[in-house]
Amino acid sequence: MKKWLSFLLCTSVCFNTLAQKNISITTDSLHIIELNELTVSGIIKTPQQHLVNFFKSNNAATLEDILSRLPEISILRRGAYGMEPSIRYYSDGQINVLLDGMQIHGACTDKMDPATIYIEPINLQNLQVQTGNSGFANGSAIGGTVNMKMIEPQFDCHNKITGAFNSGYQTAAKSVYESVRLNYALGNWAFAVSGTYRNSKNYKSGGGEIIPFSQYKKVNYSISAKFQYNKSTYFKADFLADDGWNIGYPALPMDVGYATAKIASLSMHNENFRKRLYKWQAKIYANSIEHFMDDTKRPFVPMHMDMPGFSKTVGAFADGELKLNAKQKLLFRADGASTFLTASMTMYQAGQPNMYMLTWPDNRKNKYGFSASWLLQPDSTMQIKLSGRTDMVLSNLTTSEAKNQISILTSTFNGRADFLKNISAQISKKIGQKIKLTSSIGYVQRMPTATEMFGFYLFNSSDGFDYLGNPSIKPEKALLVEASVIYNVKKCRIQWSGYYNRVTNFIAGKIEPSLSTMTIGANGVKSFSNIPFTSIAGAEFSVYIKPQNAADIVSTVKYTWAKDNNNNPLPFVAPLKNITSVKYQLKKISVQVETEAALKQSKISKQYGEDATPGYFLIHTRFGYITTIYKKEVELQIGAENVLDKKYHEHLDWGNLARPGRNFYIQLKIAF
Amino acid sequence: MKKIILSIFLPALLFILVISSCKKEENVEPDPTLGLTKQAEGYAVGAATKVVVYTKEALVYTGYNKFYIALYDSVTGKRVDEAHIHLMPMMNMGAMQHSAPYDNPISENAANHLFPCSVVFIMPSMGGGSWTVNLNVHNHVSDKEGELTIPFTVVDPAKSKMKSFTAAHDGGKYFISLIEPSAPKVGINDMEIAIYKRATMMSFPADSSLLVTLTPEMPTMGHGSPNNVNPAHTGNGHYKGKVNFTMTGLWKLNLDYMAGTAVADTTTQFFEVQF
Repeated sequence: MKKWLSFLLCTSVCFNTLAQKNISITTDSLHIIELNELTVSGIIKTPQQHLVNFFKSNNAATLEDILSRLPEISILRRGAYGMEPSIRYYSDGQINVLLDGMQIHGACTDKMDPATIYIEPINLQNLQVQTGNSGFANGSAIGGTVNMKMIEPQFDCHNKITGAFNSGYQTAAKSVYESVRLNYALGNWAFAVSGTYRNSKNYKSGGGEIIPFSQYKKVNYSISAKFQYNKSTYFKADFLADDGWNIGYPALPMDVGYATAKIASLSMHNENFRKRLYKWQAKIYANSIEHFMDDTKRPFVPMHMDMPGFSKTVGAFADGELKLNAKQKLLFRADGASTFLTASMTMYQAGQPNMYMLTWPDNRKNKYGFSASWLLQPDSTMQIKLSGRTDMVLSNLTTSEAKNQISILTSTFNGRADFLKNISAQISKKIGQKIKLTSSIGYVQRMPTATEMFGFYLFNSSDGFDYLGNPSIKPEKALLVEASVIYNVKKCRIQWSGYYNRVTNFIAGKIEPSLSTMTIGANGVKSFSNIPFTSIAGAEFSVYIKPQNAADIVSTVKYTWAKDNNNNPLPFVAPLKNITSVKYQLKKISVQVETEAALKQSKISKQYGEDATPGYFLIHTRFGYITTIYKKEVELQIGAENVLDKKYHEHLDWGNLARPGRNFYIQLKIAF
Repeated sequence: MKKIILSIFLPALLFILVISSCKKEENVEPDPTLGLTKQAEGYAVGAATKVVVYTKEALVYTGYNKFYIALYDSVTGKRVDEAHIHLMPMMNMGAMQHSAPYDNPISENAANHLFPCSVVFIMPSMGGGSWTVNLNVHNHVSDKEGELTIPFTVVDPAKSKMKSFTAAHDGGKYFISLIEPSAPKVGINDMEIAIYKRATMMSFPADSSLLVTLTPEMPTMGHGSPNNVNPAHTGNGHYKGKVNFTMTGLWKLNLDYMAGTAVADTTTQFFEVQF
């Protein structure tokens, strides 16, 4: 019993990725992107941060807008809303998208609702992006992790309501954005509430063409309370709700009637740098998502259908950091989560009985994981990091209805248990004062998704195939090798990262010529299967120059290369892309010019029905003005995006759907 | 130590034994006809036997009908579980009459006090034509034999469960009855058909010569379903396979028949299943 208790105590410590004040060891493979100015100090500014600072020149930006600025991240786009982040090449089940360490699973079988759509930037303190070898600490993944850190109530102003109000308008989609955030502290208690409203009409693409079914409306609200128990301990309760309705997906055959998420958590935090276990937190959480697809507004629909989906997750985790001695520390995380998913489809045809089937047969995934990282700094120029994670994942169908339906694909399925292992080693070395080299190697695994195991005739409008799950599909495994160089001189910082990944048992759709399609007009049926291997390689380059105090220049370049075992290109590989931003700050006025350029992507996957995507060049301009009126800070932002009104789309955009054309925005922020 | 174990376990074991034996005594044998519908009863004259005919469905339909026959000694009222039953269905249309395919009970021993058998009524009862089934019962308990003729009103089901075709390869008339799926569900379903070939108007022997290809189809959407198993002959004209339904709604079970390499049915017959 005692042993068990001490084991539990041991495991309730963990990996936390925020930079520390007292401990000098930091990791380079983690990028933390500040979103709100209330952020705690001590975060090292990365070139990414400067690039994302455009957010401050447009407070109305959505989370996807911000994510798309990061060199490691590309966005899979199916409309103006619900864009899916991909890290380097990886997306969906290959990466973790977490909110404050919590697992949230979208409730849409067609990936219309990645967890990021239920979060507003105003809810967040920062974004933490971890790639490859360090991306599995919070959950077995081969592609990395995006962790969205929620904003916390502040104790700064005692017994006084503080906050900020934002209001904005954008011309391309005639969209309105209103948000407010309030903070109040009294004694040991602090409270924060926030609310956001967005109403966006059909947007105009370059050249002035209106893209039908690209509208959306949403409200988002959150409330959190914090109780400071003693100097080193506090408790926190958070509730976040997001309601979206009448959301168009122009690249898909269906829209969304409404999508709603409720996310709640209760946590305890401890920080005492004099202690050996100097930092830890424990959290329990629950979230539920309802998602209703709708095609009643579309013309010429051969058959109307309803496609509701539900997702429910409960989980808990504890993480902490342990100082072993002046040169070593240990980061831990133990977590468990249980996710239930179900989705169905009902089709209506006059004079016929309704046709009903499960598209995600009721299924549950129970996951128990443990991770640890050991950091060693033998001298001031060198750092070694060893990380490992194991996950026990139990997946099963929960109803006889679901089991009957899956019996069509495989005669017997009585659940499966997967044991996932992730391990990596990283070494970094400073050469002189200017150069730092980092290299890492790792072996990682990820669990197949519910869609890949149990999906039932899920139509993919990108390649036009119906997809069937494969209950016995094997987990993907990957060997990751990565190297990076950072070169620092006085007014310039250059960073280069290169990586090579070999993914075995890569999960892809295999054409099943003997099967008939379910979706009217589909090209055929594919079933998920493991292909022997794929190779994915790429590089990211960024440079940050500060020629004088008032000016910043940031430029990033990314390139990805991905082929399968037959040397065919993989689909959805972004071409070479560059974003360059020049910002000039005069006391109260800031001026920013940004260019965005992508080369043509002609390495395409014909198997997935891809076509070549032409390159493009865009210019964005932004102006900001900050002043104080009646002791209130007032910020006015105006700007024009896609100034040249170029009609373009990115290679990752479904259905070659054109992106917004010239867009003027005006945005007012009042802080009080 | 051993004593302690014995003193604990032996009484426990006894207790369990007593409980389980008590339970057995309380267990009343369930009614074997539970869920079945009584269609007719009468006395087989000469055999001193009361005959009760049950069916699964509430009505008797055109196509395959499973009968469950219970026999009782007409004097003592005791169940008769050993008997030979021979069926003879007859359609009487005044000027002419014809029989229909049927399966006699396979065994002379009742299964759960009932003798399962079946009749394929190849047309519904109508104004000028009525169905009867003659039952010849040889009661093995009393060793007496007798007969009973029961009239049946046969109606067409909402979705036809019987098809027939004149074969291209031998000119014979074949009757196909759908037996399963009787309770269709989304998922994998048992598929069973029975095929009989008309030899004379009075004789419809079971056929085992055909190769059957099953192609399910959802006509509203024009799609099929994967991993079906073609019905193959298993005995007495019964062909068994598997049919998969991927969703609820109206399904067509398209069936093609071959005799070796020759096409038996030049059209594609189908059964409709709706759920």
